[in-house]
Amino acid sequence: MFLTEEGTVHALDDTCTHQDASLAAGWVENCRVECPLHESTFSLRTGEVDQPPAKRGVRVHQVTVQDGEVLVELSTAAPQLPPGVEVR
Amino acid sequence: MSLAPDGHLLIIGAGLAGYYTARQMRTQGHTGPITILGAEEHPAYDRPALSKAYLCGTTDLCDLYLDDPSDPLDVRWVRSDAVIGLSTQPLGVQTASGTFYLGDAVVIATGAEARRLGGHAIRSVEDAAALRAAPLAGARVAVIGGGFLALETAATCTTRGAGSVTVIAGEELPGLRRLGQPVAQALHRLHQEHGVRFLGSARALSVNPVPAAADGCRSVRPQARQPAALQGSQAPGPHSITLSDGRSIEADVVISAVGAVPATGWLTRSAVALDPVTGAVLADDTGFTGIPGVWAAGDCALWAAQRTGLRPVGHWQETVDQAQAVASALLGGIPSPMQEPYLWSDQHHVTIQAAGMLALADEVKVLAGTIESGDLLVSYLRDGTEIGILGMNRLREVVRWRRSRRVRPAALAA
Ligand SMILES: Cc1cc2nc3c(=O)[nH]c(=O)nc-3n(C[C@H](O)[C@H](O)[C@H](O)COP(=O)(O)OP(=O)(O)OC[C@H]3O[C@@H](n4cnc5c(N)ncnc54)[C@H](O)[C@@H]3O)c2cc1C
Ligand code: FES
Repeated sequence: MFLTEEGTVHALDDTCTHQDASLAAGWVENCRVECPLHESTFSLRTGEVDQPPAKRGVRVHQVTVQDGEVLVELSTAAPQLPPGVEVR
Repeated sequence: MSLAPDGHLLIIGAGLAGYYTARQMRTQGHTGPITILGAEEHPAYDRPALSKAYLCGTTDLCDLYLDDPSDPLDVRWVRSDAVIGLSTQPLGVQTASGTFYLGDAVVIATGAEARRLGGHAIRSVEDAAALRAAPLAGARVAVIGGGFLALETAATCTTRGAGSVTVIAGEELPGLRRLGQPVAQALHRLHQEHGVRFLGSARALSVNPVPAAADGCRSVRPQARQPAALQGSQAPGPHSITLSDGRSIEADVVISAVGAVPATGWLTRSAVALDPVTGAVLADDTGFTGIPGVWAAGDCALWAAQRTGLRPVGHWQETVDQAQAVASALLGGIPSPMQEPYLWSDQHHVTIQAAGMLALADEVKVLAGTIESGDLLVSYLRDGTEIGILGMNRLREVVRWRRSRRVRPAALAA
């Protein structure tokens, strides 16, 4: 879950699509999160990746904020896990 | 001096530096043709996983390709054709197959080759595949070298079920000289906990096959396929390693991770200046070699700041940053600033990240964590000022540190 400086809330899978790194430890700027390990950054809105080493975007979940409560609707799409990592 | 928008860029070497230079040229708007000449038969691939996930068997070569098949770079790739010579007039290169390629600019990105003491080494995917196929389970493994590559490989061998793993690091604690006491102690402890044994400051002098007779039942197969250029024994079967302190140890699998040599043999008779010690292509801090139209980036190169010890050599991020800087310089735009040096390594579920000018530090201070728990956060200082940081499983802290020091192009232009 990310809260941007602009006050928007976003929900993404935590695992980077390149390797097993937690995106929650990454850096958020301009509505993108930069992976804490290598160069790739992901859009908080669409999950799309901008540059290698990651090639695939990360799965995003639908977020609505109602009366200060954050509601997350989990995506039904398959997660984009890095090679060798399985759903825990 | 910059390349015209429709100019032909020749990139020599289809590795990380070659791929990223091409990618940056396209991102920064170059529309002219780009040709990448590579000696290997594979599409350009990323090397870090070779000593980790690939060696464990959890990743395959196709996962490591740098170019995205669903969104490929607009580049002409030529594979399996090594470049053997550079011509400055006309500007171009000659390949082993007898083709001459003309270019309006040439970027030298041929990387480095493993220094081989004997046994296995890990630089190419073939090296890693050979080690991946080796019977590691239950085997006595010896790793020569004390750098990150050696330690990562040792860690992976324990994951693969090696019977024993011995590291001949050549220093009392692994990484002591480069990373300081606390980190070296923490690394030592981390590996010992996973059953890795160290031999202190002893260095490996030579690696020799154990004669079949001494072994009783095993026969040492002939070495006919061993390329003449490789030093040391590559024969399968047990080897004996002679150490500098007079001891010798025996191992079923020997891996040398004792550094790399710039792959610049093809330039020795060219006008390009090479470092007299390492043979690296000498360049300024934009990658320019001093010869009109000729640039160099990645592990084959030694930029001015690396020569003076300000920046490290042989790391992924350094190569990527250099590729970006070369592309900016080639296109005559605002020079892209080099960020604080950054490197990482994965060993036994611990991610080690270091940023800044560690080599210049005269003081090391533990900020958080302990040697025992393997979660150190360490600050490197010079004359009392912080110049670097190292974290073990400290992703957040290292990201923050790097971000707080990020140099923006605008800051340079001002
Ligand atoms: C096993 C391993 C693990 C690593 N792990 C890490 C890590 O965890 N963290 C980190 O920061 N860094 C790591 N690195 C370092 C990083 O991968 C290198 O810095 C990077 O690969 C350098 O890129 P390069 O393009 O300069 O060289 P390379 O990747 O070596 O590519 C050079 C290419 O040029 C080709 N070539 C050579 N000579 C010729 C010729 N005459 N004609 C045509 N082509 C030629 C080669 O075949 C090769 O394909 C690791 C390296 C290795 C080998
Ligand atoms: S782990 Fe995220 S980019 Fe490599």
